[in-house]
Amino acid sequence: MTARRSLDLKIALSVLVAFVLSLAFSWFVHYRLAERDVYALIDRTFMNVESEIIDCVNERLVIQCMAVRELLDEGYPDDTASLQALARSRNITEISVADSNGDIIRSSDPEYLAGPGKPAFNFKTAGGRAEDMMCLVDGQETEFCQPFRSNTANGAWRKFVGVWKPSGGFVEIGCDGPSLRALSRASIVDLFRNWRVGGTGGIVVTTASGLILTDYDEPNREGSQWIEPDNTFFWKRKDVESFPTYVMIPKKSAAVQRDVLVGATATLNGLALVFVAILVGIVISSFVRQQIHAQAAKDLKMAKDIQLSALPNVFPPFPEVQNFSIWAAMDTAKEVGGDFYDFYFTGRDRVLFLVADVSGKGVPAAMFMMRAKTLIKSAAQTGKSIVQVFDEVNDALCEGNTSNTFVTVWAGELNINTGHVIYVNAGHNFPIVKHGGKCEFLKSRPSLVLGAMEGCKYRVGELQMEPGDAIYLYTDGITEQTNAAGELYGDARLLNLVSGSKEREGKLLESVLADVRRHAADAEQADDCTQLVLRYRGAPNVFTREYAPTTEGIAAAVDDLAAALETVPDADKARLMVAADEIFANIMRYSGATSWSLTVERAHCPDGVRLIISDDGKPFDPLDVRDPDTTLRAEERDVGGLGIFIVKKTMSPVIYKRQNGKNILTMGKDYGN
Amino acid sequence: MTIAVNGRVDTVTAPELEAGLKFGDATCVVLDLANVPYMSSAGLRLLLTAHKTMLAKGGELQIANVQSAVKEVFDITGFSDIFNLA
Repeated sequence: MTARRSLDLKIALSVLVAFVLSLAFSWFVHYRLAERDVYALIDRTFMNVESEIIDCVNERLVIQCMAVRELLDEGYPDDTASLQALARSRNITEISVADSNGDIIRSSDPEYLAGPGKPAFNFKTAGGRAEDMMCLVDGQETEFCQPFRSNTANGAWRKFVGVWKPSGGFVEIGCDGPSLRALSRASIVDLFRNWRVGGTGGIVVTTASGLILTDYDEPNREGSQWIEPDNTFFWKRKDVESFPTYVMIPKKSAAVQRDVLVGATATLNGLALVFVAILVGIVISSFVRQQIHAQAAKDLKMAKDIQLSALPNVFPPFPEVQNFSIWAAMDTAKEVGGDFYDFYFTGRDRVLFLVADVSGKGVPAAMFMMRAKTLIKSAAQTGKSIVQVFDEVNDALCEGNTSNTFVTVWAGELNINTGHVIYVNAGHNFPIVKHGGKCEFLKSRPSLVLGAMEGCKYRVGELQMEPGDAIYLYTDGITEQTNAAGELYGDARLLNLVSGSKEREGKLLESVLADVRRHAADAEQADDCTQLVLRYRGAPNVFTREYAPTTEGIAAAVDDLAAALETVPDADKARLMVAADEIFANIMRYSGATSWSLTVERAHCPDGVRLIISDDGKPFDPLDVRDPDTTLRAEERDVGGLGIFIVKKTMSPVIYKRQNGKNILTMGKDYGN
Repeated sequence: MTIAVNGRVDTVTAPELEAGLKFGDATCVVLDLANVPYMSSAGLRLLLTAHKTMLAKGGELQIANVQSAVKEVFDITGFSDIFNLA
């Protein structure tokens, strides 16, 4: 499974788990919320139910009480036995009559009446809530009901209701549970018959023994034994005025409400999670992509650094040599290409120079390039002929070359004194040769590229250069650069530019590159552009002589030098004479030399002079001497160090070597073009 | 007082020039270098010494008609400022 697939799976799994957890949580929360809501509803219902039942019961009993009062007023006997009979007949537990003082004067219960050594029951002083009945006497109320409760006198549960007597005092009746229920039941049943709670719930009222008085549900269970509901109901029981009362709501209705909410929450959750998952997936994959790019860019940079650091990049590379001048440049494309150039002495007067192009791109091409370059140099600097070098290097590159990488090379070996060049073209572009002022491609039958086939034979070509001639090498990154329309830069345009150029080497290479870029315009540089130009100047005229470290010696050297520089323009001649004089003077005064020598090399195409002054005195590097401060005023000025300073400022190059016990200073000027 | 110098001034010819730089009591001496193709630090040394001597006497040494090669050396070494050559 790819990393991406596995990552997607992990994200999907996390989303699923998160979703399930949030679903469970939300289900749980909503269940609890729904449950709480239902019980709140039940409690509120009970408040209503209670007050309704109480009102109902009170009403029934007040009616009874009033009836009793009417009867008594009409003359019904009010002795104890008669009252007892009356009570029984009306389903009342006790009847009492009180006077305006609150004393009971008639009662069905003889205990309340005054007797020998015992006062009558007095509402004012009896304690409990009996005193409340006294409101009937004051005329505040015409009827008064007390709740069904445990009677303080004898612990029995009673409900007392009283109605006032206009003539003074009041009539009171008391009911126990059974009588209360008997009197009220019909009204209670009527009251609750159609009372629904929360749409699907309702109220059940039973007798004390559990016989159902009212039922709200279908089938109607009135008259049957009450059974506590199972856990498909939310319910509560309260005993109201002796009636066990149940408010119940089926869980299903709450469940529906809860399920709807959970469903809605879950859907939103699900959507949000999916959205987040997609976002996370995008962020992660873009981050990963970014990392990959950054790594690839790092690798690319490393390969480029390998490429560039391996090539000689100091120009001019041999300033003391005037027989030829050489310049090279490589401009890399975005992708690492594997071009290279190289040049070095393979003998005292032979220099090898080459340009090469490795097939392929990237780090493998860069590594192949390093190998090829090193192999060629090692072989060339052991004194082998150029053909031998190619044969050897080819075999070495073919070995283990499973990627079939190859390299095209154009290499030449120049004899810097004779101007003779031997070259091999291994599948590379034809160089441009400037001969006698005219430029043309040096066409030769190319040999095979290096690294393709073992045991390949390499053909050698020859070329004779005269002072002023030049040879220009390049890779196909130059000629095959396309513009946006797909047109190549081309051989013709390159030849044209190089032929017409009057610039010095470094400037020529820059001009070519600029022209290629102009051609490419908006198109990207497709390949490395490598160039190398070598200009042959010929062996310089040389004059050498030894002198004594005396004024006479210097005088002789000065005369010889003036003669050797005869045709040099006056300005440069003056500079050279002054610089030489400074060095001669130093040798005479400070070196302790026993003899010294002057060598004058005059080079042409372009013109230049090198003075090589050598002495056997103590080691002295003029370049080490500190510059004097030329800003001081006359009074502060010192004459020390001026000579060397003048030399450093007027001569280029200035090169010091200590060799074989001798100081060797090479200085000179190039003044021709 | 004007003194004309003829020929190059270097290690070999400096002693000759030194001998010729005798100013006596003159307080303002002009050295005409029109015929001097080039001058090395040997010459500069002499000029500086002579200039300091003149300054100490309350006089001055002036340089005139320097050729381009000599001017270049004067510029490089800061002697152009010392002798007020533009």
